[in-house]
Amino acid sequence: MRRLPIALAGALLVAVVVPAVASAHATLGSTSPATQSRVETAPREVRLRFDQAVTIVPRSIEVFAADGRLVSGPVVAADRGREMVTRLQQLDRGAYTVRWRELSADGHIGSGVYTFGVGVPAPPPTEAVGASGMTWKDDVARWAAFVALAALLGPLVLWLVLLRSVDPGPRARKAFYATAAVASFAVIDVGILAFILRSSNALQLGFLDMLYGDLSPFAEKTRFGIAFLVMTVGFGVVALFALLAWVLDRPGLLWVTLGLGSLLASGWSLSGHQATEPNSSALTELADWVHLVAGSVWLGGVFGLAVIVWPLARDARRDAFLRFARLAVVLIGLVVLAGTYMAVVRLPDLSDLWTTSYGRILLVKVGVVGLALAWGAFHHLVVRPRLERGEMPRVAGRTLLGESAVAMAVLVLAAVLVNGSPPAPETPASGAVPAIQAGR
Amino acid sequence: MEPRPEIAHWWFASIFLLLGLILLAEVIVGPTVFGRRPWRRYLWPATALASGVLLWLVAALSTFSMLHLIAHSIWAQAAMIAGAVELAVVRGLLRRPAWSLVTAGMLAVSGASFLVHEQNGWLFSRSAFLHHAIGWVLVAAALFPIGKAIRPRLAIWSTGFAVTVIVVAVLLYTDRDVAPIFGHLSEFAGESK
Repeated sequence: MRRLPIALAGALLVAVVVPAVASAHATLGSTSPATQSRVETAPREVRLRFDQAVTIVPRSIEVFAADGRLVSGPVVAADRGREMVTRLQQLDRGAYTVRWRELSADGHIGSGVYTFGVGVPAPPPTEAVGASGMTWKDDVARWAAFVALAALLGPLVLWLVLLRSVDPGPRARKAFYATAAVASFAVIDVGILAFILRSSNALQLGFLDMLYGDLSPFAEKTRFGIAFLVMTVGFGVVALFALLAWVLDRPGLLWVTLGLGSLLASGWSLSGHQATEPNSSALTELADWVHLVAGSVWLGGVFGLAVIVWPLARDARRDAFLRFARLAVVLIGLVVLAGTYMAVVRLPDLSDLWTTSYGRILLVKVGVVGLALAWGAFHHLVVRPRLERGEMPRVAGRTLLGESAVAMAVLVLAAVLVNGSPPAPETPASGAVPAIQAGR
Repeated sequence: MEPRPEIAHWWFASIFLLLGLILLAEVIVGPTVFGRRPWRRYLWPATALASGVLLWLVAALSTFSMLHLIAHSIWAQAAMIAGAVELAVVRGLLRRPAWSLVTAGMLAVSGASFLVHEQNGWLFSRSAFLHHAIGWVLVAAALFPIGKAIRPRLAIWSTGFAVTVIVVAVLLYTDRDVAPIFGHLSEFAGESK
C-alpha cells in the first residue's frame, strides 16, 4: 500500500512529460500578414499557408475593410496546394478582416477568421467584420459557469473549513466528494461551451462548417481564449484531486481542489471588464476576483447546506448552519465592498445607474441580492436563535432551498452583467484610447 | 512547439501499450499472483486517470477545429472517470461488479467520439481508416466490462479487454496523418507526406 503514492506519482509524471497535439486534417500554419498583426506598409496580397495541400473552394479568402467593403480578388493556389493567395486592392490605413475557407486534405471544409491592421492595431477576432455581439446563449453559458464554480467552492468551504471538527457522516462525505468532482468537470465543460459560443459569434458559420471552424485565433489571441486554455487544463488538475480525494478518502486533498479552483477562477477576472476596460487596474482585477470567489462561496455554501448537509448530515446541521451564518456575514461584506468599488469605477456618475443598460441591470441585480440578503436575515434572526436553543426548525430545509433559488437568480443577472458592456469611460481628447470590449 | 500529429498518436499508443501489457500480465499470471504486490493493481487505473489529465492538455491544443476540441475533451473525461472508478474498485470503495459498467460506458462514449469526429469514409486515407477502426474497436471493447459485470469470474473478459487495448495501441502506432491505405488515397486527400 505504501507504493500507491509512488505509482500515482509515476503515472502523473507520464501525463506531465508528454505534451502533444493530435490532428487529422489541414490546419492553418502561418498567414501573411500575420494574425492580429499591425503592419505599417499596406500589403499587396494575403497568403495563407497550411500544413498540407488544400483545395480552393468558392470564397476561399475574402478580405474586408472595417466598413464591410470587399478588398480582395480571386484566390489562387501556390506551393503545390499548400498555400492560398489573393491579391488586394490598395489598402488605406485601418483594420481589416480575413475570412477563409478551404477543402482540407481529409475532405473537411475548414474555416476561420482573423484580423490585421494597416497603421493601426488589429482588433481582436471577436470584433471582426460580420461578427455578432453576445447573445442570450452566451449569458446562459456564463450563468452555468458561475453555478458550477459556486457548486465547487461553496460545499468545499462548508466541509473543509466549517465542519473540520465534525464528521458529517458517510453519506454526506460521499455527496461532498461527488459534488466536487462533478462541479470540476462542469466548470470545464461549460467553459468549452462558452468558448465555442463566443468564437461562433465571430466565425458566423453554419453548424456543419462550424464543426471544423478554426478556433485557434480566439484561443491564442484573445484574453478570454488564453484564460480558457489555462482554466481547461487547470480544472482538469482540480478534477484529478477531487477524484483522488474520493478514491483515497482523504479530504485533505480537497484543499488543493479548493485552492486551485479559487485561484483559477481569476481567469474570468483577468479576461473580463475589470481587466480590459481602459480604466482597469490590478485593483479592479483583484476586486472582481474577490467578488467572484466570495459570492461563489456564499451562494454555493447555501446550496451545500440545502442539498447536502440538511438532508444527509442531520447531526452536523446545527454546527454547519451556525458557523456558516457567521462566515456569510464576512462573505457578504466582501461581495458588497468589492461590488461597490467596481460599480463606482464602471459607473462614475450616479445617473449612469438608470441612464445606461449596464446600470439598470446592476440595479436589478442589487435588488435581487437584497432579496437574498433578506432571506439570509430571516435565517439569521429566526432560524439561528432556535438552533442555538437546541431546536431543529423543520422549515429551515425548505427556506434554504428557497434561498438557493434566489442565488440562482443572482447569478443569472451576474452573467448578463459580465457579458454586457459598461459605458466607456471619458478619456482626454488627445491620445484617446479606443474602448475595448470585455473579454477580448 | 507542437509535435507532428502522428507523433502525438504514437505517444498515446505507448500509453495504450503500457496499459495493455499491464492487463495482459494480470491475465497470464492470474489475479492472485498479480495482486501479491498490491501496487500492481493500481497501475492500469492510475495510468488511465493520468492519461485523462494529459488529454486535457491535448484538448487545449486542439482548438484548430471545434470537433477536435470536443472529442479530446470527451476522451479526457472518459479516461479520468473510468480510471477513478477502477481505482475505487481496487481500493474496495466500490464492491459491486456492476461498477464495470462505468468503464464500459466510457469506452462506448470514447468509441462513438472517434467515429463522429471522423467524417470521411474508411478508405479515404490511413488516418480515416484508423479512426474508424479504433472507434469500432473501442465500442466492441465495451462488451468485455459488460461481461465482467454479469459474470465476474470468467477470465475471457479480462483477456479480451487486455488484447483489445493492445490492438488499439498497434492501430495508433500505424497512424500517419495523410497516407494511402491499401494503396488507395482519396483524390481529395492531397499528397502524402
